Amino acid sequence: MSQVLQRTSATGTRATKVIGALAILVMVWVVVSGLILTPQDVVQGESVRIMYVHVPSAWIAYLAFIFTAVASASWLISKKHSMGFDRFAGASAEVGVMFMAITLITGSLWGRLTWGEFWQWDPRLTTTAFLFVTYVGYLAVRRLEGSAEQRARRSAVVAMLAVLEIPLVHFSVVLWRSLHQGATVLNPNGDVKMDDLMLFTLFSGVVAFTLVFVWLVLHRQRTMLLVDIANRQGLDAAIAARKTEGSVR
Amino acid sequence: MDLTPRTSETSRKPRRWLPIVLLSLVGLGGIVIVTQFLTSAIDYYCNVDEIGVRSGCKESTRLRVQGTVEQGSLQKTGGKTSFVMSFNNKSINVVYAGDPGGVFQECISVVAHGRMIDGTFESNRIEVKHSNEYAEKNADRLNSSGSAACSQAQG
Amino acid sequence: MKDAGFILGSYFVTLGAILVFAFVTLRRAKESSQSVDEKDKTWL
Repeated sequence: MSQVLQRTSATGTRATKVIGALAILVMVWVVVSGLILTPQDVVQGESVRIMYVHVPSAWIAYLAFIFTAVASASWLISKKHSMGFDRFAGASAEVGVMFMAITLITGSLWGRLTWGEFWQWDPRLTTTAFLFVTYVGYLAVRRLEGSAEQRARRSAVVAMLAVLEIPLVHFSVVLWRSLHQGATVLNPNGDVKMDDLMLFTLFSGVVAFTLVFVWLVLHRQRTMLLVDIANRQGLDAAIAARKTEGSVR
Repeated sequence: MDLTPRTSETSRKPRRWLPIVLLSLVGLGGIVIVTQFLTSAIDYYCNVDEIGVRSGCKESTRLRVQGTVEQGSLQKTGGKTSFVMSFNNKSINVVYAGDPGGVFQECISVVAHGRMIDGTFESNRIEVKHSNEYAEKNADRLNSSGSAACSQAQG
Repeated sequence: MKDAGFILGSYFVTLGAILVFAFVTLRRAKESSQSVDEKDKTWL
């Protein structure tokens, strides 16, 4: 699939092809292991299989939003205000929002099987919903009218504020009383209570989703550059045409 | 030279109102989440030992109560499920109109929604609060009297 | 498999979302690329 898409791609390179191929390989392993090879959980039974896509997608969404904040800070701090930082921030946030949406949907399906409810306004779910809404807002801010510089400045400020929600989401199960279970891997005690193949498959999921994230962000930020150049060329051409018309009159 | 804006545009105009509408909806969504849900989310439940003791856990109001289903207390009769729910050495009797289904079982933590009526907690919603431990399902590990959760709780 | 609809559905949603995002991104890139000089494509 990746190779078919790459052949027609304007933003592909040898590196993205390698990353794409690796992402497909690891993803296939995650699907096979997650659905077939891993055992049922002693309490949750088969529903534990949702964990192998739910947890990695949440982690990669966090990672994406952190990258967005770092790139935004880099844009604000750097003297040149390189638009590359802004495009990276935007691309990373878009991919992050997609992974956050996956987290919410898969979590909802998992919740129905374990808690008996698709959704409850408990601390983890409420803060996660708020995080998702915030980053949809960030993407809306990026599409407001204005110059590229204005877009970059506005969205950088939003990104640096929005990233502060991530610790709140992660520690919501520790700070408050939540229906959502506490962290298994990233728990404060560091004592991971999970069978070996389950844990290996979970980490494989993290690797697969990280590769997908890198692949998507590379393509998306290059696409943003192409769109920016095409828009600038269109504007230059329009001004040149109007100048020609004016000089003829 | 005439540089006034053209009135007839052949190319598709971007919908400039869309981000503003989206941003307004996002703002509204954020406000609703914070004002309507965040406050109740922070105090999602009262523990069994806090009923009538902690503020916000009055017996006279509808409550969400968290505790563990006592081993050997689960009974299903006449379409109702009854069990003893405990936390911190305090217990209450719970009656649920129906079968909670899913992974509900003895020794598992649950959040029951309902009211205290004549010393019994009458619940119309049970949510299972799963632990953060994951282990392979293995028939050998289950003891004869208890559920999978009891077996996990006993190590 | 018990609850197969929920479990397979979660994998379907995950993989589907990734594929749709990838497809839309590559299509936009292809459309925008036609009017851009090769020298501006710094990754090539």
